[in-house]
Amino acid sequence: MGNEQNSRRSFFKKAAAAVGVIAAAAGTKNLISASSASAAGVREKYEADVASQERAVKGNQLVLMTDDEKKQRLDDLLNFHYQELA
Amino acid sequence: MSEGKTEGLKEANDALQGRREFLKNVCVSSAAALVAAPASTGAAAETANPDADVTVSEFFQGHFLLMSDEEKKQAIARLEKRYSAQYRKKTTVSNVEAPDGVLFGYALDISKCIGCRRCVHACVKENNQSRHDPEVQWIQVMKMPKGNIAFTAENLDKGYPEKSEFGDYGVQVGGNAYKTAGLSTEDAQNYYNDELVPDRDFFYMPVQCQQCEKPPCVKACPVRATFRDHAGVVLIDYNWCIGCRMCQLACPYHARRFNWGEPKLPAEEMNPKTHYFGNRPRMRGVMEKCTFCVQRTREGRNPACMEVCPVGARKFGNLLDPESDVRRVLATKRVFRFKEEFGTYPKFFYYIG
Repeated sequence: MGNEQNSRRSFFKKAAAAVGVIAAAAGTKNLISASSASAAGVREKYEADVASQERAVKGNQLVLMTDDEKKQRLDDLLNFHYQELA
Repeated sequence: MSEGKTEGLKEANDALQGRREFLKNVCVSSAAALVAAPASTGAAAETANPDADVTVSEFFQGHFLLMSDEEKKQAIARLEKRYSAQYRKKTTVSNVEAPDGVLFGYALDISKCIGCRRCVHACVKENNQSRHDPEVQWIQVMKMPKGNIAFTAENLDKGYPEKSEFGDYGVQVGGNAYKTAGLSTEDAQNYYNDELVPDRDFFYMPVQCQQCEKPPCVKACPVRATFRDHAGVVLIDYNWCIGCRMCQLACPYHARRFNWGEPKLPAEEMNPKTHYFGNRPRMRGVMEKCTFCVQRTREGRNPACMEVCPVGARKFGNLLDPESDVRRVLATKRVFRFKEEFGTYPKFFYYIG
């Protein structure tokens, strides 16, 4: 009787310990894989990226190329390309 | 005396029994955890990702360009299997190489663009970009006051370098020197929300990856995940990207987008015809950008943004072919270049027809 009780108790103890270990493992996994930032934090980061692009793009100036410049540009592009291929 | 000894032995035996029991319990529960943990994580992965071991293989795969043909085939098969299950539709991941004898270039007519943003949305749709929270867009359309554009074309060739004691290498004088001879992006609006476009007091300028011939992003990438293919298009191996964002910092046009979160791409909106270096679904923590629709252009088609443009403001073609649209634009139209060009040699040209 005593032994029986003992083995049942031991079984429950083992089961509880196993559940505890699995829960701890799952918790650790979640901790590692879950995003550290919240959804709002992620949105903020996206917005910061876009804002930096806006700043960069808004400071730009485009100038017209003369015919010589256009020819020079094309020659350069083709030369670089053929050099790359070689 | 002997009774006391027996008592002592019994106590010692009990203690040993208790320790043994404890160690046994620890061992059993550890073994149970070892067996159960992979099963439980496997089950969890089953719901999120139907082929968990594919992800592991993907994680350990090398740079696509350095793979053998067999490895490439396996990598493509893994991705097709995973995407097909994830998006519940037959998905193909192409590996078509860039055609030989081609150098892709793009030209955009600022005077024609009406700012309808059809190109932006066609790009999002074609390239499987994140649809919400936020919608990731590779093209940004700027709306600028007409006063920002000023040039006197007839004076363009009249400037000359000032004479100096070192020769004729001084600053430019004459012609358009000391005048604005081009286009300024000051006071541009990126988030205009007009009911009707175009607004007659404004003009529009879409900005996207300039596909530089000397791309600083490629030089900055510490793992060579981003590279220039032999048709001149700058691409990214998403599986090799480590998400360090060095390329984003290096790009003077800020044309790169980083996936801070897991991209949100609904299955019903996913474009199943993908390319390994192009529009296949990306993951969190990797960079992405315009690829001139590599999945289309490598098969002889035009980029989605060009196809959808209702006013024909966009031209795409082979810079090596003198008869191509882009070469004709360069030969006959008034073409702009960025004032501060950083020596990157963009292959994306803005022009006025």
